[in-house]
Order: sequence, then C-alpha cells, then structure tokens
Amino acid sequence: MTWHVEAEDLRAYAQGELAAPMLWSADTHLVACAECRGVLASVSDPVSLDAGWERLDAELDAPRPGLFERTLVRVGVADHVARLLAATPVLRRSWLGSVVAVLVMSVAAAHSARNSASPTLFLALAPLLPLAGVALSYGPALDSTYEMAVVAPVHGFRLLMIRTVAVLAAVLGLSGLATLALPGYGLGALAWLLPALALTSTGLALSARLGPVLAPSLVGGGWVAVLLAAKAADAGPGSTLAPFTAAGQGVAAAVAVLAGGLLFLVRDRFDRFRGSAA
Amino acid sequence: MTTTVSASGLSLRYGATRALDDVSLRLTPGVTGLLGPNGAGKTTLLRVLATAVPADGGAFTVLGQDPGTAAGRQEVRRRLGYLPQTPGFHPDFTAFEFVDYVAILKELTDRGARHREVRRVLDQVDLSEVRGKRIRKLSGGMRQRVALAAALVGDPGFLVLDEPTVGLDPEQRMRFRELIAQAGEGRTVLLSTHQTEDVAMLCHRVLVMAGGAIRFDGTPAELTARAAGRVWNSTGRDPGAKAGWRTGTGSFRNVGNPPEGADLAEPTLEDGYLLTLDDAGVRAGVAA
Repeated sequence: MTWHVEAEDLRAYAQGELAAPMLWSADTHLVACAECRGVLASVSDPVSLDAGWERLDAELDAPRPGLFERTLVRVGVADHVARLLAATPVLRRSWLGSVVAVLVMSVAAAHSARNSASPTLFLALAPLLPLAGVALSYGPALDSTYEMAVVAPVHGFRLLMIRTVAVLAAVLGLSGLATLALPGYGLGALAWLLPALALTSTGLALSARLGPVLAPSLVGGGWVAVLLAAKAADAGPGSTLAPFTAAGQGVAAAVAVLAGGLLFLVRDRFDRFRGSAA
Repeated sequence: MTTTVSASGLSLRYGATRALDDVSLRLTPGVTGLLGPNGAGKTTLLRVLATAVPADGGAFTVLGQDPGTAAGRQEVRRRLGYLPQTPGFHPDFTAFEFVDYVAILKELTDRGARHREVRRVLDQVDLSEVRGKRIRKLSGGMRQRVALAAALVGDPGFLVLDEPTVGLDPEQRMRFRELIAQAGEGRTVLLSTHQTEDVAMLCHRVLVMAGGAIRFDGTPAELTARAAGRVWNSTGRDPGAKAGWRTGTGSFRNVGNPPEGADLAEPTLEDGYLLTLDDAGVRAGVAA
C-alpha cells in the first residue's frame, strides 16, 4: 500500500460523515488494506462499525458513476444532485456539440463582417441557446421520466431550477468562451447576456401556463421579431441594434427581473402533470 | 379493514371530454384491478389518485392525507409508488443508476442508505444480476421490472400500476404477475389493466370503468356472476348476441340474452366484463 486513509477520515467514515469523493476512495481502499481496517475497528464502536460494513457492502455493489457525474462530484456538487443533473435530457454531448457549432459559426460570421459596430449574428443567436436548452430539459415530451418525477416528493420547481441552473451554467459558459474570441468588440460582445437571462426567465414563467413547447417558441419568436423591428429602424451601417444598446440592456434586465418574480409566483404549477389526457 | 384511498364525486374535464364523471371509491390493502376499454378514464383516475393531476371536483384522501393541500400532497408522494403506462428511462443509465435516480427523487439523499434501498428493491424484482447493465440493453420485461423496482423504493403504502403487463410475452407476464402479487402483500395496489386474466389471477376486488365512470365495483367472482346464464355456445355467429367470437374449437361463444334452448356455457370474468361494458353502452371489441 502506498497510502493509507487518515485516522480523522476513518473516524468520519465510521460515523457515516465522510463525503464523496473521499468516501469512494476510502471504500475502495478499505477492501484491500487490512491495516486501515484495523484502525477503523479501533476508532469505531461495534454498532457503527457494522453499519459501516453494511454501507461498504452497498457501495461495492453500486456501479461506478459515469464521467459526467464524477466530474460534477469532484467540483463539489453533492452526489445526489449530480445524478439528477446526469438525467437532464440536454446535458448530453450531442446538445452541447450543437451549441458549440452554433457559437463557432456565429463567431466566424462576426470575424468575416468586421465593418459592423457589434457582432450582430452572435448577439442575436446567443440568447436563444439557453432558452432552447432550458426548454429541452423538462416537460413530458422531452424528459423521459417526467411522469415519475411529477409524483415524487421532490418539488417539480426545485428539479426545474436545478436543471435550469445547470443548463445556464453550461450554455452561458460556452457563450462566454465564444465571447473571448471577439476581443475587438470590447464589452459590447457581452450584450447577449442580459437578453439571454430575460428570454430564459420569460420562457420559464410563461411555460407554467402555456407549456414547455409553446412558451419558449413564442418567446424565441418574439425575440426574432424584436430584432427584425430593430433592424428596420436601424440608422445604417456601423450602428448597434437597439436591444444591444445601453437602453436595450436596461429593458432586458428589467424583463429578466420581472419574469423571475412571476416564475416564483407560479412555481406550484410545475408540481403537477402537464400532458395529454388519457 | 384499513382504508388507504377514499374518494367521492371525483370529476375532471379535458375540454369537452368528461374524463372522470362522479367517481367514488374506497381502496383497502390488497390488489384491486381497474378494468376498462381505451379512453375509459383509467389513466386519468390513476393520475388523480397519484396526485399528478388535480380533479375539477370531488374530494379524496390517500393514506389519511388530503392531496388538495401542498403539505398533504407531499406526504402522499412520500408513501406512493407509481408505475406509469409508458415508464420512461434514461437509456444511458444502468438499472441501478435509474432506480437510484428515482430514489433521489423520493428524497433519499444519504448515499449509503439510498444504495441499500436500491439493492433491496432490485433484489425484490429479481434483477440483482443485471443491475450494472445499461437499460437500453435490457429486454422489455426486464425494463418493466426496473420500473416496478423504482416504484417500490421507500416501501410505499399505496402502489399505482398503469397497465404494467402490456407488451410483455406470456412468460414475462406470468413473472410480472408474481411480482405484483408479492407487492400486494401488506399494501394497497391499484392495477389498471386491459387483461381480465390479470384481474382473475391477482385481484381481490375489481372496478370496471367506462366513459369516465365506475360501472362495477365488486369481487371478481361477482363480476363473473353477472354473466351467469348469459353465455352460450353455437355453431355459427348468433345475430342476437351482444358479443360473440369464434373459439379455438371452431364454435362460437356468445354473450347477451340467450335464445330458447341455447347451449349455455360456464361464464368467465371476461364475459362479465363484456356484459358490464354493454350495459354501460360501450360496444366491446370482439372478433369473429
């Protein structure tokens, strides 16, 4: 053995207080290390030691979590939250790959049209990505375990928020990285962020009444309509579309806050089944 | 006997469709079958009792709790097992991971205790050997057992099963019936099914639904007795029969009001069910 579990960790283990991923390491190590098992016996009372062996037995029986879950746990996410996130439909390589492809294309378009005051295509598309991602992460049509989740004691709104935060973190993170590829535009290249939050929160708030397909579709359509109207009123080449000006950003921030408040007020609607009659 | 579910006057509309029409019932421990044709309202009733969908009218309690309140609903959900008509799976999960996921949804957040519970329910449905296998690689019958294991997490007092034997081959269906029978020991199980054999083999009581209403509530023997003297055999299809079909021997089995001198046959649960539907104005699908 090249290493041994610290006595303090063994005490925590015996009391059932050792958290993953250290818990997993200790579980694996204790099977192979008689010395550590001896120390464990000396720091445990017999009852909690039996409980510890029972726990170890159950752990050895459990399949090893996938890479995505292990990564989440390593960065500090609780193991049960990591499993909830692993079940989020859009947090898959295919979805994240699509997001990256869209961002790369819009960044490339911005580089090929450097005469503009702002990377318009990138700013227009980036807010739609989290809206779509969150919309695709819940609901009867897209979440295969939706019906089981609805009748579980975990509140539907809590599950929705866990998934929303995860999708936002992933998509906003990728969009943020894409923004770094547009250094010539300065802070203006970040003008997608507030519209992204406004669209996502509005889509969620409206989905409580309109459902997880119609609501984000309407919000996405509304965003495109706003951009087309702003384009029609555009002063000319080199100007910035209204939603990406300081005033437009203020409106986006206000919409995000108001929609967030509305979402909180209608949170109980997410605790009931939304689907076709049978 | 302990009452697990007590409902009176439950009603629910989806647009112009009356999905539930003044449904009243009382469920006690044991397996209760819920029979009815497609569109009878079975799944809607199960969703209402499982707290997934609120009723428009009426009242009910589950395990002494009122699901109309947020606190009562959560209490019910803590003691509820639910197997939906088409249980969805995350295909990349193993059987263990999927049941573990459902256990987390059931608030079992302590990893060790949760994994012990997952192992217990997988043992119960005889899937310990394939717990590490991806769900997409399991047979239909095994997937259905995974879904049953998920429903059994937390040792629920009320188990709701929506057509769990649909799509299973005869051998798988027999195996699944054994599991349902075991699950029904000491707890209340409401089993929605199209299969009268499920009811005959498993249930101490049967409800027949049609048009959103309960048309029969009694024991399987009482449902069978409804067809006493109303089943007969004939060499050709009897035009006066309410339903009739050719049997394996080539003769026709008819249900309805037999003609004078008819060759009466021993009624089955299916005969009683067909006549109950007919009395309710629902034409049962029969084949010649």
